Amino acid sequence: MLPFFEEEMKRIEESIEDYRGGIRRNVAIISDPYYGEADLMARAASVAGPDGLRIDGRRLRHDFGILERAPQRIVVVDEAHRLSLRKVGGFDLMDRFLRFVTSEERLFITTWNSFSWRYLEEVLGIGRHFPRQIILPRLDAGQIREMLLAGREEGELTFVEEEAPGGDSKVLDWRVSRRAVMGHNIDLPYPSVDPGVIRSRLKRNRKEKKSGEDAFFERLAQISDGNPGVAEHLWKEALNYPEVRSSLRDPPTIDLDFDESFVLGVVLSSGSLELDELSEVLGPMDLSAETMAALLEEKGLVSIDGGVVTLRAEALKSDIEHERRLRLVW
Amino acid sequence: MVIMGEEMATVAPESSSNLSASATSEGVSEASAGISSALQAFGIDSSTIVHVILVLVLAYVSTRIVAFLLTRFSERFHWLRLGIKMEIPLAKLAIYGFAVYHILGSIFQLSTNQLIALSGLVGAAVGFGLKDLVAEIVGGIVLVLDKPYQIGDKVRIDGHYGEVTDIGLRATRLVSPDDSLIVVSNQRMITQVLANATAGSLEMQVVIDLFIDSSSDASRAMKILRDAAVTSRYVYISSKRPVTIFLKDYPFYKRVRARVYVNDLRYEFKFESDVTKRAWDAFLEAGIEPPKAMVMDPVSTSPAA
Repeated sequence: MLPFFEEEMKRIEESIEDYRGGIRRNVAIISDPYYGEADLMARAASVAGPDGLRIDGRRLRHDFGILERAPQRIVVVDEAHRLSLRKVGGFDLMDRFLRFVTSEERLFITTWNSFSWRYLEEVLGIGRHFPRQIILPRLDAGQIREMLLAGREEGELTFVEEEAPGGDSKVLDWRVSRRAVMGHNIDLPYPSVDPGVIRSRLKRNRKEKKSGEDAFFERLAQISDGNPGVAEHLWKEALNYPEVRSSLRDPPTIDLDFDESFVLGVVLSSGSLELDELSEVLGPMDLSAETMAALLEEKGLVSIDGGVVTLRAEALKSDIEHERRLRLVW
Repeated sequence: MVIMGEEMATVAPESSSNLSASATSEGVSEASAGISSALQAFGIDSSTIVHVILVLVLAYVSTRIVAFLLTRFSERFHWLRLGIKMEIPLAKLAIYGFAVYHILGSIFQLSTNQLIALSGLVGAAVGFGLKDLVAEIVGGIVLVLDKPYQIGDKVRIDGHYGEVTDIGLRATRLVSPDDSLIVVSNQRMITQVLANATAGSLEMQVVIDLFIDSSSDASRAMKILRDAAVTSRYVYISSKRPVTIFLKDYPFYKRVRARVYVNDLRYEFKFESDVTKRAWDAFLEAGIEPPKAMVMDPVSTSPAA
């Protein structure tokens, strides 16, 4: 269980207390993938006790009747965004859920993928159904250190300095552009500056002034973008007990065409998606879910396991930047 | 005699052509002597002219390089694309302005009297022969400063519609949806009524009309069209850029219209096609029919038919 988000947990407990006192304010917990919001929901369900029902969006998608039949007064719904799919007719179940949420006297505590939330807010105005919205904040380097070193003795781990991969990259490189000049194609060389290498070198210079451990956690916070799940994943890669290698890889550079980017955006807006669901979205657009998922897997952006396409944690930051740049997510 | 006459006849034109040629060459040499004496009066020799040409060529090459680099840069930082491209005409104006300043100031080293004489000369040239060219260049400067449109905008002018790909000093270039290059002089661009669909934004409103049979379920059709629009891979939605669906009833059919924004104006037609295709797939699945052919066909519905 994450030792953070205590403030957010308090707000959930307040909502439950208010509800028992006669004030109903449905709760939406909004976060990027890998934030570990499921732990918060487990705690919320335990606070609700026998009065609470915990159910996830994927299950509701297949049997909405469970919700209608359940007698419990406090309903905890994990990943409520799974009730919609980005296709014609894909919001029908979400509309039904929102009508249910508004008309019932029960309290709903729900979690949402932040990208789906913003999209559904524009499309369906879901925010008005959930007056209490809790956005999980990103963790800073100190919090990530506290989370990952919890239960360990001081000095138990050794932080080993290693050169980051890709250290021989050039800041200035020459590229070639093919131009048509008087009916002939001519390759014109032009200088190209790589801002990623400049950033990386500046960071390396700053890092030298700090201890290995401080520098490691600052870099971890920066690469994971303060996402606890991603930080934990990268930590496991770096940890070779009792040593921790300082060479954290930069998130991968993304080179996708527009359709591939759209598919990545669909997966990002869900965290993970069954191939069948992806087919439902992509089929009407004449795109093959299997092919597109395989292309993304080949580029190290998703993994496919048991027919489920899941975002790779280490690529999450790059995915988000890429999708925002193309305005495929908001 | 006949032979002589023939000889005379053949000789006479030669001599007259020789005369006219010598007269022309005299005229040319007089004119060139006049020009060179006039140039010398301004202190301009052949090396100065070569220098001027070099500066102009350098300015031209510099504008091409700057435009190329800024375009590359703008494509890398997608969200800044239009903002960076806006600066290209300004950069061109600055480079050419500097070149002219350099030519007048450093190369010719004109005195006040010479500048007055030159401006008189330029005024005469503009008045007689170059007024259109100057009007176009002035139009280009006005466009750069006033910015009624920018590179990357989609504009309609004089019945032409397309994306602005270049704003030169003399003319603006558009690329039409069928990939034709349209060159419109800057003078026309500032004097004609111009419709700018994007005005510097990356997103752009697209209107999609679908026509259905009068007996079809219009509410269902509106919902399907809305779903098709908001689920498109090309859509852009925000509180300022909402999706709006309209219905209009005509005597023999209904029109369902979507006003929706495409996330990048380059995808305008792909967006329209994607929404139309998926909406019609869903219409047919829901039993929503297109209007009867005779209703939509103006020939078959005309009184004569």
